Amino acid sequence: MKKTLFISLGLVFSLAVSAQKLSTRSAEVSFFSATPVENIDATNQQVSSILNLDNGQFAFLVPIKAFQFEKALMQEHFNENYMESGQFPTAKFTGEIANYKKISLDKDGRYTLVLAGTMTMHGVSKEIKQEVRITVKNGKLSLKSDFNILASDYGVEIPATKADNISNSLAVKVSATYD
Amino acid sequence: MTKLYFLLILALSLNLRAQDDLLAELEATSLPATEYTFATWKGTKVVNLQTNEMPGEGVLQYTILHRFGAFNQDFVYNFFGLDNAQVRLTLDYSPKEWLNVGLGHTGFLKTYDAFAKYRLTRQSKGEKNMPVSITGFSSVYFANQRFNDGLDRNPATRLSFVNELIIARKFTPNISAQIVPTLVHFNLVETPNDNNTIFALGLAARYKITKMHAITVEYVPQFNGNSYPVPGENGAAPSSEKFSNALSIGMDIETGGHVFQLFVTNAQGVAEPYVFAQNTGSWLEGDLHFGFNISRVFTIKKKK
Repeated sequence: MKKTLFISLGLVFSLAVSAQKLSTRSAEVSFFSATPVENIDATNQQVSSILNLDNGQFAFLVPIKAFQFEKALMQEHFNENYMESGQFPTAKFTGEIANYKKISLDKDGRYTLVLAGTMTMHGVSKEIKQEVRITVKNGKLSLKSDFNILASDYGVEIPATKADNISNSLAVKVSATYD
Repeated sequence: MTKLYFLLILALSLNLRAQDDLLAELEATSLPATEYTFATWKGTKVVNLQTNEMPGEGVLQYTILHRFGAFNQDFVYNFFGLDNAQVRLTLDYSPKEWLNVGLGHTGFLKTYDAFAKYRLTRQSKGEKNMPVSITGFSSVYFANQRFNDGLDRNPATRLSFVNELIIARKFTPNISAQIVPTLVHFNLVETPNDNNTIFALGLAARYKITKMHAITVEYVPQFNGNSYPVPGENGAAPSSEKFSNALSIGMDIETGGHVFQLFVTNAQGVAEPYVFAQNTGSWLEGDLHFGFNISRVFTIKKKK
């Protein structure tokens, strides 16, 4: 009896250890706002992410101040007036990839799966369900997803006087190559 | 036996927790970073004092500064002082993230000037902790106004200089303040008794009332200010009066690439030496001037 318990205990612990977690600190998130007056484009290359292939769960951590804009003043206004990054320094995205079991690191392949999760930014959380493209090449997994979000969904107000310059609908691109 | 079961359950729950806490894991492993403070002020000036802000690298800025005529000088007749306005124009550029250089012209005494602003420290927290942002500002002014007295003058007598050391801190997202040890030097002063070099201590604060609007206050007391002669009225003997300390209250309005600053100040000279050390306006006597600073920036060199 005792033996069985020890074995199962050992098994449980070893499961915890063998968890197949992939991570990266240089994932990229960019967004694009298009209006007839001007286009705004910002990229963040300091995004960190973990993907657990044992249960399909993933997490992204996005430091807001690391978004780089073409114009210094845009970057300042983004942080100061819109994202209020002093108060809300990071955006978070956690969730699960459905059918993650299809993914195999042992052979090259492409998968189009669905991820569902919670995005939290500017202090507001929202559920997101989106297609994700996963590529495995030489045992390395990379992930890409494109989707649109509305600034107003996250309590980011664009004043009427700025509506010609900044779109409420932002095209977001996420890409990560895990180590 | 129960202990073992307990352990088993503990191990299982640990395992489950590990799955849920990917985010905590990410937060724990993220690199220690230095977080720099930004937007301590909306503009590169409070009213008359410089702020620690400067345009980003590769950004060209022009500013238009106006000081209207005084409230106590036939205010309505002079269209609220507009007809007696003093104007200053500047154009500056930041070749480096830490350096800004520019040229200016001021109507008062037909003054031309060149200035440089340089960042010494930036307020930050995290890996590198720095409680204040320190920025230097140095400028040289050439008063080009003609003298009509026929005397021969050395052009160097027309020069004056200002140095400001701006020590600023953003206390909260809405409250910023700075102290600015300031040194003003005139190569030529009116009398041998006047100080060529005047020390002042600028004090300024702002409070943001909305994301785009802020209230600002600025005061620049002099330690060894000079005096100016006042003609005696009704045959009385002429006397002299101390130059005033510049005191201004204003509002910043930000609209994208512009910052509008609207204010009331007792200094009309616009350029720094005249504002800080040769200001004859007094708040108590109603020598108040409406004024505005408008800035516009252009990104010349894009970051990527």
